[in-house]
Amino acid sequence: MTQPLTGRRVLIVEDESLVAMLLETILEDMGCTPVGPAANIDEGAAIVRDEADLDAALLDVNVAGRQVFPVAEALKARGVPFVFSTGYGEGGLPDEWRGNPTIQKPFTETAVRDALMKAMGVAQA
Amino acid sequence: MEKTRTAVDLAAAFEVSPNPYILLTPDLVIVGANQAYLDVTSSRRQDIVGQPLFQAFDSGDGQEAPENVRRVKASLEKARDTRQRDHLAMVRFSIARTGADGARTFEDRIWSATHTPILDDDGRVSFLLQHTTDVTDLNRGFIPDPSAPISALDAIVGGGLLRRAEVVQEDNLRLEHERNRLVEMFMQAPGFVTILSGPQHVFQMHNAAYQQLIGQRDVSGLPVREALPELAGQGYYEFLDDVFATGEPYEGQESLVQLQRRPGGPLEDVYVNFIYQPIRDEKGAVAGIFVQGHDVTENVLAAQRQKLMIDELNHRVKNTLATVQSIAIQTARSHADPATFAETFQSRLMALSHTHNLLTRSHWEGAELSAILAHETEAFGPTRISLNGPPVDLEPALALSLGMIFHELATNAAKYGALSTPEGRVLIDWALADQRAPKLTLTWREVGGPPVSTPSRKGFGSRLIERNIRHDLAGEIDLLYAADGLVAELTVPLERKYA
Repeated sequence: MTQPLTGRRVLIVEDESLVAMLLETILEDMGCTPVGPAANIDEGAAIVRDEADLDAALLDVNVAGRQVFPVAEALKARGVPFVFSTGYGEGGLPDEWRGNPTIQKPFTETAVRDALMKAMGVAQA
Repeated sequence: MEKTRTAVDLAAAFEVSPNPYILLTPDLVIVGANQAYLDVTSSRRQDIVGQPLFQAFDSGDGQEAPENVRRVKASLEKARDTRQRDHLAMVRFSIARTGADGARTFEDRIWSATHTPILDDDGRVSFLLQHTTDVTDLNRGFIPDPSAPISALDAIVGGGLLRRAEVVQEDNLRLEHERNRLVEMFMQAPGFVTILSGPQHVFQMHNAAYQQLIGQRDVSGLPVREALPELAGQGYYEFLDDVFATGEPYEGQESLVQLQRRPGGPLEDVYVNFIYQPIRDEKGAVAGIFVQGHDVTENVLAAQRQKLMIDELNHRVKNTLATVQSIAIQTARSHADPATFAETFQSRLMALSHTHNLLTRSHWEGAELSAILAHETEAFGPTRISLNGPPVDLEPALALSLGMIFHELATNAAKYGALSTPEGRVLIDWALADQRAPKLTLTWREVGGPPVSTPSRKGFGSRLIERNIRHDLAGEIDLLYAADGLVAELTVPLERKYA
């Protein structure tokens, strides 16, 4: 199986270390390089500001009691595509973010890969 | 001077008028009567002035007397209470006559009366004026028997007309009773009701529930934009304008309205179900709007709370499932043998579940540190575990993390460390530091076990411990593989920025 995402650097914003570890494992299996993980909004925003090399991001919507949208705005401004991950499903997103690729917890490796490829505009292998 | 003369002139005119008049106080005491009134009632002024009307005139002792009194009284009271003139087209009322022999007899007479309220400068009723006409002869002349059917002849002449006037009057009375009953129901309805009149939506009447909805404001006679100024920009004026203009009713469901319910108070959110129903005049044109509805704030808020709780529950369950998924996948990677995978995975799951149990007991307010430690180490017996520290209440996320961390430490000790030999012990000491930003410092010290060395490769257990402390708890951890046993020193802030 080809790995269309090989070498991509993907930021993880996720407050639960176990879930972050799972995402890292999934990303590594796909040949990606995980960046972070950021445990809160401030850390996430700092990485978006300082990290020159970002291809995509996986954003937990509810991070340590706050919503991740400031990080999403910063990524959008940089032109970095991202995928929301949430326990609420897409219905839990505010209107302005509906339609953005979203994965619902718990997630499969396939779901993560498909959402990332959709966000990045990478053709299915 | 001028005014006095006018008053005198009016009094003189009143006195000489051929029409019988009597003037009453609002509580129906006779103030004065003119000569014509004294004549038709065969009474003397000095006998009746100052008397209650129905003491001076009681309609005699006939069977119909109480009903006759009641009808005249009702008409007077209606004129007084509505401040509107009231007509009694026909009423029987017996009058006492003193015969030549001095004996008093009652004579059955039929009257037509008009009752007019006289208002003072403040619009209050100061007097009631009764103008009454004896119509007995007119009536009696043509209808000897009042119960006889109306003939064609009767219809042409006065008797029939009077008879019909009586019928109409009875209808009016019945309709008025019905109207009063409807108004009563309207006023006491549990839902709010109001009638707005004209294109400016002037408050004509409203019931107690409506009064409660808008706070105890006096809005009677005011246009809605003046009466409820806080509704500007909320769309309700415009809905009313539309209903008035188009004649189409408007219905609102769980509609948010912000109302000032106390003078000077803040705007309060109220949710209402309501309908604006146009009221049409006899020509079919919209004359006003009937407003009816219910305050459903409690229901709406309860539904919102329930949705929040369900969303939160779903969020927690999905996060927990993702955590369990992660534990399963990470455990599988370090256990090729399905049997050891199942055992390790299950014990991690049980550790997580046990902390949930502790939290459930406190309604998810928190769990006691020593209770978590005791559960993870109790299998090894009290002589091999030393727990030493003050009570520490841990909030739920911290309790769940520490539960997993202690589980990993204990499992590791049982496999490779002090708890893998009969002699080894674990000393756990903790303390709280820095009251302004409270921190928990805890030392897990293994003694008496086999010699240990830094492992060449970190397993899932130690990665979980380090990541969890640093990432989830924003704390620090040192894992020191000393020759005589593992020492883990951890520090975590107890007051985190998030729940």
